[in-house]
Amino acid sequence: MIQVIAALQPLLIGAVLIRAAAVKLAHRHAADSARRSALVPLVGERRAPVLYRAVGCAEFVVGALLVLPPHAWPEAAAASALAVGFLGYLGYAHRAAPDSSCGCLAAARTPVSWRGFARAGALLAAGLLATLATEHWLPTLAAHPRGGSAILLAEAAVFVALSPELDRMWLLPLRRLRARLTHPLAGGSGVPLHATVQQLQQSAAYRRVGVLLRSDVTEHWEEGELRLVCYAARYQGRRVTAVFAVPRLRYEPDAVRVALVDDATGATLLHIDSRDLDPPTDDPPATVPGAGPGPVAVEALG
Amino acid sequence: MDTTMNRRRLLTTAALGGASIVSATALGSLAPEDALAAPSLAVEPGAVDPHFVEGRVTSITGTMLLVTSSDSSLHSIRVTDGTSIWKLRPTTFDRIAVGDGLYARGVRLPDSTLAAESVWVNIVNVRAHLAAIGRNVLHLEHRGQRIVGHVVPGTTAAVYNNTPAVADLSLLRIGRHVQVIGAWHPDTNEIDIATVYAAA
Repeated sequence: MIQVIAALQPLLIGAVLIRAAAVKLAHRHAADSARRSALVPLVGERRAPVLYRAVGCAEFVVGALLVLPPHAWPEAAAASALAVGFLGYLGYAHRAAPDSSCGCLAAARTPVSWRGFARAGALLAAGLLATLATEHWLPTLAAHPRGGSAILLAEAAVFVALSPELDRMWLLPLRRLRARLTHPLAGGSGVPLHATVQQLQQSAAYRRVGVLLRSDVTEHWEEGELRLVCYAARYQGRRVTAVFAVPRLRYEPDAVRVALVDDATGATLLHIDSRDLDPPTDDPPATVPGAGPGPVAVEALG
Repeated sequence: MDTTMNRRRLLTTAALGGASIVSATALGSLAPEDALAAPSLAVEPGAVDPHFVEGRVTSITGTMLLVTSSDSSLHSIRVTDGTSIWKLRPTTFDRIAVGDGLYARGVRLPDSTLAAESVWVNIVNVRAHLAAIGRNVLHLEHRGQRIVGHVVPGTTAAVYNNTPAVADLSLLRIGRHVQVIGAWHPDTNEIDIATVYAAA
């Protein structure tokens, strides 16, 4: 049994190594990925892409040797050595450059996390197990097709689960499905204060008194189908409260009214209804230099 | 409580136009130029704004807040009746606690205290990706760190494509980018969400 499992490991390790090598050597953004990784504090920004590609080449060679016949235990030993190197690199990255991207299996930014460590540890375990094998994976798989496939699929699933880069392929769709089925955020009701503030800021009354306001919303309450929102303001040197009456359940900035109430005496100093204010007029069209006013424009002015 | 109700009744009557108005013309114009001509401290371009303070509350004495800024300077902030206080929602001075972060804007007085006009306690502005949704919880991924955003029923609002805010958060999509304004729980990675800005 152990022999079967051990013989199949080189296929898995080889596939992972070749995939990692492809990302490092052939991806469009490989150089950027190198510069985002912890190789930069290690060897400097100029040499990081070179070292990144060198690691990719080593991975490709070892991966190809593992996948292709014949089987030889030094290949598995080399894979284990690479895995030890990965663990060391991850430990260094976690300590020295925690913001850096892993850069292992994808060019996208992926911070170093416990999953990366677990994955490198699993790779090391697989490599050590592979040194016990006595024959190539192909005849083993042919001799035990169902059992061998099951083992390989299970191990591949473990690797995928431990790879944050691949989350968007399976984890996010699963979460979306769960959200679609359980509706965890359903049940919001009422009109948020923010909607009322957005509405009053669109009103003509606000355009008139907005420059007098000194504070953010001090208090608010509801009165029937209106919401009243108060701000502190200053009007001709007096401290006043600017209270806006805003329709709560419909969007109608023209219906917004404002009053300025003196804090000291309680007297209303000013009241503005947006409906009483003239709508903003369009500016007259700018004249083209060199051309006089056209006949249409002259008629409109006349 | 009684005075609050009376005051609100007075303000409501004034807003609805029921109160008689002191002659407005006698009190001057509403022109922006006049309003903005109020004297204030001259600030050089590029200098630190003296009318703004950010930091963490280290002590509260009466109506004075002692705040340590992120550059380790100390500031005294005086809070008055006219100061707006935001802590997830407009609230009162007694909700401010030692250890809260805050932004404050007001007028710097000659004795170098800040007379605060607006105080925003523990306010955060987070641009993140939505990693997962739980019951009344949004898990946000911010620069590789995980932030837990609590949805507060009755307060949390969503703005989709810059349309008026609604209370319905069910149009948020996992994996998409969101911007969240919220109130931080000090010294944790959790926030209460005030507004979520997203594309629907």
